[in-house]
Amino acid sequence: MSELEILSNLVETGKSKEVVQKVQELVDQGYDTNIILNQGLLKGMNEIGLKWKAGKAFIPEVLICARALNMGMDLLQEYIVTQPNQKEEGFFIGTVKGDKHDIGKNLVGMMLKSKGLKVVDLGTDVDANAFIAAVKEHNARFVCLSALLTTTMLYFKQIVEDFKQAGLREQVTILCGGAPVSEEYSRECGCDYYRNDALACAELIAELAKE
Amino acid sequence: MNSIDRMLATINHKQPDRTPVYPIVSGVTRFLNNSSYYYWATDALVCADALIKAQELLDLDCIITLTDLSVEASDFGQKIVYPENEAAYPDSSDHLLKSLDDYDLVQEIDPTSGKRMSEHIKLCDILVQRKGSKVPIIAFVFGPLGILSMLRGQSDLYLDLYDDPASVHQALEKITNTLIRYCDLLLETGIHAIMLDTLFASQSIMSKEMWLEFEGPYVKRIAEFIHSKGRMVMIHNCGNGIYFDAQIEMMHPEVISFLHIPADCESLEDIKDKYGSKTTLAGVISPAWLVSAKTADVEKECKRLIDIFGKDGGFILATGCEYPANMSLDHAKTICQVAKTYNPYKK
Repeated sequence: MSELEILSNLVETGKSKEVVQKVQELVDQGYDTNIILNQGLLKGMNEIGLKWKAGKAFIPEVLICARALNMGMDLLQEYIVTQPNQKEEGFFIGTVKGDKHDIGKNLVGMMLKSKGLKVVDLGTDVDANAFIAAVKEHNARFVCLSALLTTTMLYFKQIVEDFKQAGLREQVTILCGGAPVSEEYSRECGCDYYRNDALACAELIAELAKE
Repeated sequence: MNSIDRMLATINHKQPDRTPVYPIVSGVTRFLNNSSYYYWATDALVCADALIKAQELLDLDCIITLTDLSVEASDFGQKIVYPENEAAYPDSSDHLLKSLDDYDLVQEIDPTSGKRMSEHIKLCDILVQRKGSKVPIIAFVFGPLGILSMLRGQSDLYLDLYDDPASVHQALEKITNTLIRYCDLLLETGIHAIMLDTLFASQSIMSKEMWLEFEGPYVKRIAEFIHSKGRMVMIHNCGNGIYFDAQIEMMHPEVISFLHIPADCESLEDIKDKYGSKTTLAGVISPAWLVSAKTADVEKECKRLIDIFGKDGGFILATGCEYPANMSLDHAKTICQVAKTYNPYKK
């Protein structure tokens, strides 16, 4: 097994301390930071995502894996040299107004991260103005809305409407998800896409982002 | 048949005069006595009045005392938020257990000393006095792991399961002992059953093995206690792909209230084949679907479910989770109407 495969496995099994050690070892051995990131850290997260999708891993496994990934990335960050004019596209995620549930939203964020995408987490209880302000400020193309309650999913419609009023509806692709949400309801609200799990959502965004 | 006869017939897998019905009307009943969500959830008299009004208005076949999932956590010391128009929830910025070191803060408590649990006991008492001779009264209790997740926060709890399982078990033991005492007090009011919410026994959260390790043994003890008192155990679990087999093995429930197809089934018909004789199935109308459904669609869906599940009893027509708390009762009326009028099994 190669060093990068070992790192990937450590991430996948959520061995945080060992991940940090291994990342340091690889940096010290002169491995390219992008290779450590893509073929080690993100590969491990992606693997657990696939297992999750297949019903072979569950939220606790995904969370320990994400923790290991984050710890590895925090260390690696110190060695990554960013280009001065490099601008990454951000994907804005948030749980809508009135809803404090964040696990689903966080899982989407983790899966996006595992695809190497930059995530801007607006948090929970986010109103339409906050989504719109973030999109304006960053000229963003994608917004992901999450809701866990039948009382709060109703707010999706308001957000879509407010994006129209702000003249930004054509600019943004709005995705939504959450336990009570369905494809049909998503359409009714005027969202562009619905996905019923975090990995499927991340896969869709990764595809859309290529366009 | 009155509602008790009807429910008993279906639970004993005999054909009742018609399908019993209970669209889980909880928070929405506050509109019937114009109470705020807070008072409805925290004042037994207000809540009892609303639930009884709903039972009489809709001629419901039972009353379930689901107010919110924070009742027990609140009395264990968790700070709770009471929004104006939705169910109470724990303050996620101020969990009782802020780190692994805080697990010792979970101690056994006397349910009569906690405001919310004692109000719930009082609620059951009022309902039994006023309706219990004709309508089954079912007390709703959150499972031990669910309560612990309210005290710690779900994400942190999931990490703790790996980082310090011993502390988690220690806390669960104390919560379980409290819940057994709580169930005893609830049963003393004369209620007919206790419905345990086992949210975590679901593919959408954790593996079956993990649930069997962290909640199975505790709910088993609670269920055995309820059965030892001669009352029924019911389960509510609105998760996706729930573990019917493991939960039946642990709790031998008389009723399972559910929303989604279980982990080991392919279809609704499959559930009836596999579990229809082992327990009574309650569900599975989607509350989220109801939000935008038309009356005709609701009628059609109810008839479809009665066709699939109703033969030889063992079925309660219900929503798979709480009826939307801010919607009108129109769809609930339709659901009840279909249960009363559509009976393909009438001899």
